[in-house]
Amino acid sequence: MQRSLIIPIFAISLALIGSAFTIDKVSSERTELRQKEGVGLIMPSAVAQIIALEFKGLFADIVFSRAMTYYGGKLIRKEEPTDEEWNWIYRNMDVATDLDHYFLDPYYFGAMNLAWGANKVREANALLEKASQYRDWDWTIPFYLGFNHFYFFQDNERAAFYLMKAAKRPGSINLLPTLAARLSYQGKKTENAIIFLQEMLKKTEDKNVRWIYERRLTALKAILFLERAMAAYHERFKKQPEKLDELIAKGVISELPQDPYGGEFYIDKDGSIKTTSEMR
Amino acid sequence: MTAVWSVALITFKEGIKNRIIFGIFIIALLLFAATTILTTLFMRDIVKVAVDLSLSTVSFAGLLTLLFIGVNLFGKDLDKRTIYMVISRPVSRSQYLIGKFLGIVLLSFVVVAFLGILSAIPVILSKRFYYYPEARFDWWIYFIAVIYIFIKLAIVSAIITLFASFTSNSFIALVLSLVAYIIGQSTESVRGLLASQVEKIDVSPILSYMVEIAYYVFPNISAFDLKTQAAHGLSINPSYIIWTALYAIFYMTIAVVIGTLAFKRREFP
Repeated sequence: MQRSLIIPIFAISLALIGSAFTIDKVSSERTELRQKEGVGLIMPSAVAQIIALEFKGLFADIVFSRAMTYYGGKLIRKEEPTDEEWNWIYRNMDVATDLDHYFLDPYYFGAMNLAWGANKVREANALLEKASQYRDWDWTIPFYLGFNHFYFFQDNERAAFYLMKAAKRPGSINLLPTLAARLSYQGKKTENAIIFLQEMLKKTEDKNVRWIYERRLTALKAILFLERAMAAYHERFKKQPEKLDELIAKGVISELPQDPYGGEFYIDKDGSIKTTSEMR
Repeated sequence: MTAVWSVALITFKEGIKNRIIFGIFIIALLLFAATTILTTLFMRDIVKVAVDLSLSTVSFAGLLTLLFIGVNLFGKDLDKRTIYMVISRPVSRSQYLIGKFLGIVLLSFVVVAFLGILSAIPVILSKRFYYYPEARFDWWIYFIAVIYIFIKLAIVSAIITLFASFTSNSFIALVLSLVAYIIGQSTESVRGLLASQVEKIDVSPILSYMVEIAYYVFPNISAFDLKTQAAHGLSINPSYIIWTALYAIFYMTIAVVIGTLAFKRREFP
């Protein structure tokens, strides 16, 4: 071997070993740093709109997917996002949809997770209102709005208003006007919620969201089952049972359904069926 | 006219032979390939993301072509002193400059046409992969957006022509054109921002005056950005097309004519 080659080869092999060693360290340091970093800064929409130049749509994709992957990382680590992080997610969705007013994913992702995951229905509805204004052909947006008003706010009047709005948009399901009419009957809350959720399930392909819906649907079906059993009990014995066990004792039902959220069903003071898990 | 045309053809041939163009095409093809993979990360509006990425790639590749090749095509004759050969021929200085301008417009046309057709592939693939029923998409609007990318590049070509007519080296022309492009792309947003926040924040009248001047001096390039419309299949009014096309023609004429006036008075070292 030529002598002049020895030093470079030695240097390269040393550096290769060194870099292979350090890249591992770098990636672990980075992971740690990024976890500490937590939620980053939010670029105000006005600034983002200016610096995005002609690539506003692309920018919206990036802002959205950054927040989505952050949330996904939390899910994988089985951590619950903090209040601050939820706000960060909400504002990211807001910025992404300011960059591209018609972009469905941030509206959808934000609205679903804020309402169901963070219990921030107001923020979810703000996103959906914005979506409904721009995506004025898309019936699913007022449909989701109607559901949120009905289910989380118990505001049947607003819910019916949004459902009728959805029904006027092309391609909507035929069921909407009927559902809107049914909402005026206060008593049928559980049944209406089941109909709503079944329709929402039909439109959903994302596994995560389906799982959220399906779990809630199972719980609601269990509650409906118990409500009907209570009604049957009332019919037979002309009084309300005080505990659910009485339903089994008197042979109205053979066993109590399970709460998919891990709680136990009970009869609340006002005579409605509740669960200790509060479906969360 | 034949003199203008022959300068244009020579400029075009010189540009298309440039090696940088292969680099730009490879970048564009890689980005198209990336589009197909990246779209799978999104939830529902997958076609929108594919259209965003595809059209942005076409536009970006076109800009790279103009800034790296177009600017150099002007500078070359001056740097290599071949300009003496040209101006000693029966070609007037304004014919030469207009020819150069048309040459790089032709170059950007070929780039946009080629990449514009290729850019449809990731969109077709993403549509096959997943198409949300409530999403909207229309090939007509998509190709109008591609044509508008070309119009935008033609305006940038006119700006390059203007700056190259009086700057002494191509790097300065490149920087000036880039700055003009960025200003032209953002004046509309800045102007909108100032108009909407007037009540909340005190904006100095000088600033808003400067923005207003910039809006009229620099081309409003954001008017030629129809990517959002293409991504969501939003219809475009015929009047929009007519007015923006006329605006582009007038603006290019102004820039090129000022360029020829400056070029006529110019002394070559």
